Amino acid sequence: MGAAALRALPWALLLLLGPLLPGQRLQADATRVSEPTWEQPWGEPGGITAAPLATAQEVHPLNKQHHNHSAEGHPKPRKAFPVLGIDYSHVRIPFEISLWILLACLMKMGFHVMSSVSKVVPESCLLIVVGLLVGGLIKAVGEKPPILKSDIFFLFLLPPIILDAGYFLPLRQFTENLGTILIFAVVGTLWNAFFLGGLMYAVCQIGGSGLNHIGLLANLLFGSIISAVDPVAVLAVFEEIHINELLHILVFGESLLNDAVTVVLYHLFEEFANFEQVTIIDMVLGFLSFFVVSLGGVFVGVIYGLIAAFTSRFTSNIRVIEPLFVFLYSYMAYLSAEIFHLSGIMALIASGVVMRPYVEANISHKSHTTIKYFLKMWSSVSETLIFIFLGVSTVAGQHYWNWTFVISTLLFCLIARVLGVLVLTWFINKFRIVKLTPKDQFIIAYGGLRGAIAFSLCYLLDYEHFNMRDMFLTAIITVIFFTVFVQGMTIRPLVDLLAVKKKQETKRSINEEIHTQFLDHLLTGIEDICGHYGHHHWKDKLNRFNKKYVKKCLIAGERSKEPQLIAFYHKMEMKQAIELVESGGLGKIPSTISAVSIQNISPKTLPDSNALSALSKDKEDEIRKILRSNLQKTRQRLRSYNRHTLVADPYEDVWNQMLMKRQKMQQAELQNAYLTVPANRIDSPTMSRARIGSDPLAYEPKPDSENLPIITIDPASPQSPESMDLSNEVPKGCGGLPPSPEEDEEGLVMRPKEPSSPGTDDVFTPGTSDSPSSQRMLRCLSDPGPRQEPEEGEPFIPKGQ
Amino acid sequence: MRKSKRSRRRRASPTVRSLACTVASPASTKAKMALLDLFIRTCCILALLSREDFQRIPELAINPLGDRIINAFFSEGEDQVNFRGFMRTLAHFRPIEDNEKSKDQNGPEPLNSRSNKLHFAFRLYDLDKDDKISRDELLQVLRMMVGVNISDEQLGSIADRTIQEADQDGDCAISFAEFVKVLEKVDVEQKMSIRFLH
Repeated sequence: MGAAALRALPWALLLLLGPLLPGQRLQADATRVSEPTWEQPWGEPGGITAAPLATAQEVHPLNKQHHNHSAEGHPKPRKAFPVLGIDYSHVRIPFEISLWILLACLMKMGFHVMSSVSKVVPESCLLIVVGLLVGGLIKAVGEKPPILKSDIFFLFLLPPIILDAGYFLPLRQFTENLGTILIFAVVGTLWNAFFLGGLMYAVCQIGGSGLNHIGLLANLLFGSIISAVDPVAVLAVFEEIHINELLHILVFGESLLNDAVTVVLYHLFEEFANFEQVTIIDMVLGFLSFFVVSLGGVFVGVIYGLIAAFTSRFTSNIRVIEPLFVFLYSYMAYLSAEIFHLSGIMALIASGVVMRPYVEANISHKSHTTIKYFLKMWSSVSETLIFIFLGVSTVAGQHYWNWTFVISTLLFCLIARVLGVLVLTWFINKFRIVKLTPKDQFIIAYGGLRGAIAFSLCYLLDYEHFNMRDMFLTAIITVIFFTVFVQGMTIRPLVDLLAVKKKQETKRSINEEIHTQFLDHLLTGIEDICGHYGHHHWKDKLNRFNKKYVKKCLIAGERSKEPQLIAFYHKMEMKQAIELVESGGLGKIPSTISAVSIQNISPKTLPDSNALSALSKDKEDEIRKILRSNLQKTRQRLRSYNRHTLVADPYEDVWNQMLMKRQKMQQAELQNAYLTVPANRIDSPTMSRARIGSDPLAYEPKPDSENLPIITIDPASPQSPESMDLSNEVPKGCGGLPPSPEEDEEGLVMRPKEPSSPGTDDVFTPGTSDSPSSQRMLRCLSDPGPRQEPEEGEPFIPKGQ
Repeated sequence: MRKSKRSRRRRASPTVRSLACTVASPASTKAKMALLDLFIRTCCILALLSREDFQRIPELAINPLGDRIINAFFSEGEDQVNFRGFMRTLAHFRPIEDNEKSKDQNGPEPLNSRSNKLHFAFRLYDLDKDDKISRDELLQVLRMMVGVNISDEQLGSIADRTIQEADQDGDCAISFAEFVKVLEKVDVEQKMSIRFLH
């Protein structure tokens, strides 16, 4: 019943919208301003147009005009003061936009409620159907349904999806398969375009009088528009089938990189259609422009990515707007590329890929979460809107159905795709170490879905040069529907039938990370011995360059020197600590030597693990005493939230300075430390660094966690040694220094303090600088990590990370 | 006059590439003739390699695992490696081909099988050859990979955690079987392969 109510709601909203529009028209007529000028805002196809400003401006001068009229001519009857009035035109545009977005979100919600249908039919299909229904409804009411305008699509709907894909691109697999992806993207798309264009030209020549006038160039243009595999559609379908990472990155990477080819071909043929004759020079220039477009796009993206990384280095005092930098710089990269007709998609991806490692090292944990969720949210909404609008535009657009053209387009599209994949795979397999099996080839061919990009590109064609635009549109829509519905629906059972390898859902363990790095070094060494400059050699060189020069510029402070392994390890520990806190579980301390580090808390520890060397009893007692006394500072409440500051971070740099001093002292003291429990400051900066750059897949908090408890530990309460463990986690990094009395009373103390003199670097000395660290530790732990969402397993998982 | 390692290496490269693929396989006669031919041509140059020859490769010097890799070429107690030994070690890195999987089921496992590749890597960890990666051995490797800035305690806890994750029989060390299990999701066939033939 709830589901039915949910489904009814958007219709209710639309019905509300319906009467408002004719109501407005009545009002317009009543003012008796000249008809044509009022007709204009309504005659424009669609409420959500590319010219909201124009219509708004139109409305205002017309209002003035109306007043003038009434002042000059007809004596207006004096109205009573309107206590309640309706002025819909004022908010019309934002209102309608919000309604559409709301509709999209409600649809998404509805699909998850009706899970039985969404198991069979992919979400994209359902959304197109909804779009068809909504379009039909609007038409039935008498209004003209909006068509997906190309500007809106390319400027607002597409970038979030591409940015989301680019920022979370699984870089390792992408670069390993880059050659294959490029060949599919470039050669495959070219083949598709020319094969299809040529064949359609032949069809047009023999196809009867209706088609004879379509020239070769028009057909080639049509071929280039429809030949590109669409990233939105591929994402939407492939995310749901959880296919193995190799296939996913191949098809998805191809759909991203073929944008350059599509852009070049499109502009090329559009220009050429105006020429009388196409010379060799034009073709050579066209060939050159491909390199300019693709490499230029990547270059623009890289520049913006580096600027963003550099900016993020200085944002330690204004953490709240960190995510905005990421979004803005990426969007600017996209727009800048579009200015010069370069490939905006490649710019966007390049900027996301370049900025990510450095930004993640610089920004706070919360900002990272924000970026992740905003990107997911925007891309999700965009995707939904695109599919709905596809449906609506189908109803709204003018169609010209020609059986021959449409059917032959469909047929040749499929044939071209299959042939292309087969031939290219045969060629590529000569160079691949892990060959692509026929099963893989089938999935790659079958996954060549077309989508909204083709539709929008066609819509951009102008009528005077391409008067067969309507026929093209119809054909494109048919192909899109076919691929999305038929191929989208059947790919899941086919994947199961063919027993294609699925994605492995587990996270990377520390073992995998260590051994993978080990193997990297090993293979680099072997390659050097053989004199073979392969993949590992260049990767190693890039890493070295990165470490030596780039990281120093782009990452703030100490983190620039942190080895990747350590960063990974701390991410893991951080995540585990959060999980532990959320689940409220307490693990027994496995008896290891370094009791000062949080790393020893492992929820998997068996109660009888005698695994590693045991601490002697009195050492354990010492540690517990230290920690217990330290815990008096851990009663922590966040201050009242100030929009401009996030509490923890201003002290980080001061802390880091103090830590560096302490590190030096400890190196000296390490040999003659009485207790093997040093005041291990070295752990603290890394603990604080653990806030940053969390692996997007890393968080899988328990579903039953409610509000995250803030750790307030009352040391006075009787506690068994075991239950101290949870609280022990917290100030472990501080190495147990008892607090000074005044801090105890003040609770949260945020004053940075100079460390006591070097001579006091001893376990038992009161270290006033402890409080920020322990409290920061707590803040880290009490940071509510991302919650388990029902969609974690669905389209919005970071793609194959 | 012994030629420098670099020129030797350059000449070794085509030899390596063309012979690595034949040395481990039950080669055809033609390939064996090619092998012999090349061996005769190069044996005057590549009679024996010593550790210094390897150390002359500059990239190996900065590779954290450089020494261990070099040691992997030399068998127990030897200071020189001949051509066959050199090839044998490199044969581990040949890509696995599909057609090999079907033939030779009863023969000895080829050097470039997944298991043998992993065993090669395992031997690089396991210096004392007790078929286990102990905590100390792991610590040494970590220290080499991570550099000098990280404290011993921290590395110690990473090592502990690593062993804890992998260890299944509770002996606080990683045996070969556990090693294989941990790496089951890593695409070792692709990762540990070098295309010798172009």
